Amino acid sequence: MTGRSTDWLLAIAGGALLALMIHFNSLLARHTTPVVASWVAHGLGAAAALLLVAVYSRRATPALTGARSADRPPWWFYLGGVPGTFTVILAAITVNSRLSLAGTIAFMLVGQVLFGIVSDHFGLFRTPKRRIALADFGVALMVLTGSALIIFDRV
Amino acid sequence: MAPYILLALLNGLFIGTSRAINGKLSTRLGPFKASLWNHGVGFLFLTLLLVAMGGWRLDGASTPPWSAYLGGFFGALFVAVNSHVFTRLGAMNAVLLVIGGQMIAAVLLDAQRLQLAPSPVRCLGVGIVLLGIHLTRVSNAPRTQAKTHDTPPMGR
Repeated sequence: MTGRSTDWLLAIAGGALLALMIHFNSLLARHTTPVVASWVAHGLGAAAALLLVAVYSRRATPALTGARSADRPPWWFYLGGVPGTFTVILAAITVNSRLSLAGTIAFMLVGQVLFGIVSDHFGLFRTPKRRIALADFGVALMVLTGSALIIFDRV
Repeated sequence: MAPYILLALLNGLFIGTSRAINGKLSTRLGPFKASLWNHGVGFLFLTLLLVAMGGWRLDGASTPPWSAYLGGFFGALFVAVNSHVFTRLGAMNAVLLVIGGQMIAAVLLDAQRLQLAPSPVRCLGVGIVLLGIHLTRVSNAPRTQAKTHDTPPMGR
């Protein structure tokens, strides 16, 4: 369970990193345009990731040694960045509509949870299948309700 | 209004797809190389898009405070962390925990920016999010043990 706990804490810390990323990127977007800001952020992110690879390559590669990893990954494994850039563009469209920032974030969160449920159920993108229990919907509802309170209290 | 709601929901699917694919790449190359590919491919794609649309507007690039350029660094770390946990926790748990961390961090960032304690409604929101996260652990405990064999072991 201790190994799992690290994953849970890492995921929560990941959310904090995401909030910091959005905070700084929107600051940049206010001085340029959303597409240019995303372009600059991806360029600097690539440089930062290169640095991280150089520093941690020895520690991060044990995953490679497994027999399953010997075959070449399919080409679409490398294209995760493309839907990532659409995220910025779509968000720029909806934030500037009547939905505003709060509504955009709220519906994006709902979309993500729906994706998570469907992805786990069908094992999309070759991820392990996971049975969805009724309790999962309750948990999702709680996290989304709490998030909605935080989001809509802003406006 | 309705088409924008659909677009925002669709955006959630784009985010999920991106994270799922990066997570798969991470099991082969490790989380940091997955983050490098994500940002490299995204950068190339946006370069092509900007060339095609002619939307270069770099005149304002020198005005923001230097901290505005930190986003890329946090993005690189975020993609690495998310790719690592995605395949280990499953899509839904990863999504819920990241959302929880994101909302709590947003409340703290706002409080720091406005130099003002968060409102009671926002504190209630954080409480409900934390309770939800806690319940995820409780409801998953028996199933996580049962399915350990079908998740490939990864180097730590």
